[in-house]
Amino acid sequence: MASYPRDFRFGGFVVSLIWLIFWILIIVALVGLPLIFIILFYVPLPEVDGEVLTPYLFLTSILYPQSAIPVIETLLDTTFFKVAVFPGFTYAALIAAATIFIERKFLAKMQLRVGPLYAGKIEGILQLLADGLKLISKEIIIPSGSDKLIFWSAPIAFVATAAAVVALIPAAPGWVVADIDVGLLAVFAILGFFPLIALLFSWASNSKYPFIGGLRALHQLIAFEIPFILSALSVVILSGTLNLTEVVESQIQSYWFIFFLPISAFVFYISSLAELERIPFDLPEAEAEIVAGWLTETSGMIYGLLQLGSYIKTYALAALFVILFLGGWAGPQIFPAEIIPESAEAIIPVSELYEQTDANAAFWFTLKTFGVIMLMLLPRGISPRIRIDILLHTGWYKLIVLAFINMFVALALIYGGVLGPGGLLVR
Amino acid sequence: MSANNKEELNKLAAGSQTKHSSSTSDDTAQEQPPSSSTQPKQLPAKPSPPSATAAASAATTTTPPPKPSLASSPAKTQPEPPPFEKGLVEQLKNKFGDIVKVVFIKPLRIKIQVEPQDIVGVASFLRDSMGFDHAESVAGTDYPKDNQIEVVYHLGSYSREELAAHILWLTARTNKDDARLPTLINIYKSVEYHERECYEMLGVYFEGHPRNERFLLPEDWADIPPLRKDFRIKGR
Amino acid sequence: MTSIEEKFEESKRLGLQIVKESEEDRLMTLSVGPQHPGSGHFRFVIKVDGDYIVYCDPDPGYVHRGEEKMCEYRNVIQNIPHLERPVIHDSANITYSYSLAVEELVGIEVPRRGQFIRAIASELNRQVYTLYWLAIYGIFLGHSTMFMWPTGDREVIIDLLEALTGARVTHAFNIPGGVRNDMPEGFRDRCLSQIRYLQKRFKEYEDIFYNNPLFRQRTEGVAVLSKEDAIKLGVTGSVVRASSVPFDVRKAEPYDIYNEIDFKVQYMKTGDCFARSYVPLLDMQESCYIIEQLLDKMPASGEVRAKLQPNPKGPPGESYRRVESGRGALGYYIVSDGTPKPYRVKISVGSFRNMLALPYLLVGKRLADMPAVYWSLNYWPVEADR
Repeated sequence: MASYPRDFRFGGFVVSLIWLIFWILIIVALVGLPLIFIILFYVPLPEVDGEVLTPYLFLTSILYPQSAIPVIETLLDTTFFKVAVFPGFTYAALIAAATIFIERKFLAKMQLRVGPLYAGKIEGILQLLADGLKLISKEIIIPSGSDKLIFWSAPIAFVATAAAVVALIPAAPGWVVADIDVGLLAVFAILGFFPLIALLFSWASNSKYPFIGGLRALHQLIAFEIPFILSALSVVILSGTLNLTEVVESQIQSYWFIFFLPISAFVFYISSLAELERIPFDLPEAEAEIVAGWLTETSGMIYGLLQLGSYIKTYALAALFVILFLGGWAGPQIFPAEIIPESAEAIIPVSELYEQTDANAAFWFTLKTFGVIMLMLLPRGISPRIRIDILLHTGWYKLIVLAFINMFVALALIYGGVLGPGGLLVR
Repeated sequence: MSANNKEELNKLAAGSQTKHSSSTSDDTAQEQPPSSSTQPKQLPAKPSPPSATAAASAATTTTPPPKPSLASSPAKTQPEPPPFEKGLVEQLKNKFGDIVKVVFIKPLRIKIQVEPQDIVGVASFLRDSMGFDHAESVAGTDYPKDNQIEVVYHLGSYSREELAAHILWLTARTNKDDARLPTLINIYKSVEYHERECYEMLGVYFEGHPRNERFLLPEDWADIPPLRKDFRIKGR
Repeated sequence: MTSIEEKFEESKRLGLQIVKESEEDRLMTLSVGPQHPGSGHFRFVIKVDGDYIVYCDPDPGYVHRGEEKMCEYRNVIQNIPHLERPVIHDSANITYSYSLAVEELVGIEVPRRGQFIRAIASELNRQVYTLYWLAIYGIFLGHSTMFMWPTGDREVIIDLLEALTGARVTHAFNIPGGVRNDMPEGFRDRCLSQIRYLQKRFKEYEDIFYNNPLFRQRTEGVAVLSKEDAIKLGVTGSVVRASSVPFDVRKAEPYDIYNEIDFKVQYMKTGDCFARSYVPLLDMQESCYIIEQLLDKMPASGEVRAKLQPNPKGPPGESYRRVESGRGALGYYIVSDGTPKPYRVKISVGSFRNMLALPYLLVGKRLADMPAVYWSLNYWPVEADR
């Protein structure tokens, strides 16, 4: 910006325009066109109303908007949309961003202060954007002697693992990125990666405080995985399936599982607080004792990635709680059948894209997830940090016993003939 | 500080002339800081401690008439030192005799001076028999005029109620050129850090102290011990 | 605990497998240094065997400014502003003790109203400091609400101090001879209403913070300092009162008008971290009663400051006066040689004396107990360094 401005010469301007056109032509001809041909040759195009979606069809839909609706509908059904928008990346990132902002405001009100106030016109709503820009603009400092490969790849692996958990969560019937029959087991398998990432990253930091933090993270996360799995096991006993969509379906037919399994829900809640390293279980990042635990050496966007991963994990575990115990997307139908009545004869029937059940499911699911997230944010304003021996004692002794108790209750309900697959047998 | 000066200060509040004359006479009479004054102090505004109430109030009410002060000879007009403190000093004198020199006895403050080689014995007696169970602080003062460094141990008592308000000053003087004193760490554990600070600030080596090292000063300190009078703050 | 050998013997007695310093492979040396969220302007080196602390060596001096040497270069009134700086939150107490010692040397009598105002400022500052200490204790335990609430309530008292003295924190209000200025109008009623608000808040603190099961788990039974050890180590203030020694300078050796005030010395018998964190709260509640009595008994009018000559000086002499500050008995030993500038000023601060308990208490404790124990000793790093 501080360069010395030269005098404007029309000839120079024309020359620069010609250079621009020249480069655009070169890139399109040598890179763009081959790329398009490769995509068209190898990638199978979706079918629209019986016809394959050729580029010709796509371009004509711009001219005739009424033929665009089927195109959009097929696009909405693709996996790419589910990964990128709902219930995938955009949805999870938006909920994570909202969580961070709500956490700061909620905590501030509990602590008799105001929270972020100045970024953005309304009560600091753009604070998150400001923080993100700040983190991007900071220098990333790699400690000398650290293992550079792991130091760079561990935060990315952290976000990727959190995103993999999100990929298994159904937000509405039919809206799940990966609908596998052993969904719940896959969730726990992926969750088992987190202690490994924490330990690797802390070792790669080549410093004492991260080392202690990493060991603490390892102990804590492993200790609480078992009550986690055991409490979810009670749900599997009651619903008879590991597929997460079918777990919700079985809750819609009977009552929500939290009424039968309150202790399991409690154990699941505590274990998820421990897995998320939230206060009161934030020993691996204990500030007053080990500076910042295994996050000590992170700076700039590496720290940003770790925080993003942490909040995406929060959404994932809260959504899992909702699916397992709170009935997923079950809720009274509050959306109308059509948003604009009798619009099927309109020129651009946009309202055909609107599905009543999907909108209702997404709404209730989001509402319940936010409720559970607020419940997870609450202990941060209430309690101090727990100590490691009390933590391990709780995780290995008390929570496992509680999870077993509720599992026996669930077994008793099944064998007593009260519940069965398909709902209540006793009326 | 003599009682006569105090009375005059109270009466002639704005009269600086008399005060100046009295204090200049003070200066000429006593050039050295006091090491041998045995005058009790009278503080009409200070309440007396509960244990020596009767005795101290008797002492404060017998104020001598104000005289034009020659501070060189105030001793003959001073009342007796408070009896409780006097009793403590008597106990010490009975045990140690001339080893203990009493510097002054004021209400709640007694100052005794001993030679460096006797300090450990006196301190153990103070702790075991007389009930002064901890040292509040250890201060060193540099007196270049006598070429000596005086180390003062302020001893207090937590366990005995009647001694709670009293502070006994146990002092020892050592030559400045080769400043060594035996350490009291085996008797009073609380002097560990105070003696270390005294070592680095004044250069007094405490024999028997496990760590005669730098404590508060920066690691690259390369000058004489700062609290000595030869050390001038740069720029003043 | 005088040497490493004794500390290691103590750890063995606790039943831990402690290795000698020569086999250092098992020990990890951590420098809880000045660049640490859990240490303040202070550094202590700890050696850790797994999760247990084996050895601790405090290393103060990061904020050493040579207060005692600077006092010899200024006259007794000029010393007040820089003597406040070691504890900026508790500045009324650290200059109170100095003023008492100077008044004894020079022979100044403080008017009665000045004594009352001095005591009120001292009690208010004690509460300011203790609330700040409580807030930092919350941070060290990971409880951010315990940081925010006391810091917010401090503002109430700091506003009072601002009305009284003109400045919020380092107000240089006490001078030898009294206080600088009189109370403003309406201060009495305002002070009483704020004291009532604070008394309600202290009850809330008890319910929310001290009865929190996690707080109790982290502090109860941790690092017990027995009565004999407390007396031997010579600790002071709330630390010694938490080890069942009811010693308070205001009761033992009342200065100014404290012999006319009726209050109890709060002490507890257990000597663990919880007692050391609870005694300051009890002290603050007691302090509220004291302020109410002071405001009642104060003379309605009068001088607040004795008239002094421009360079006050007294005959040669020595004096030692002490005052109960937020950290403990704060003593001044002043030697005067008849000139307006003191010959030697030695400040005996509570933090320096309490620091001795730190290596003794930390041996054999877990790493997670380290902030809880360290801050419960009521240690203010800046004051200990002077």
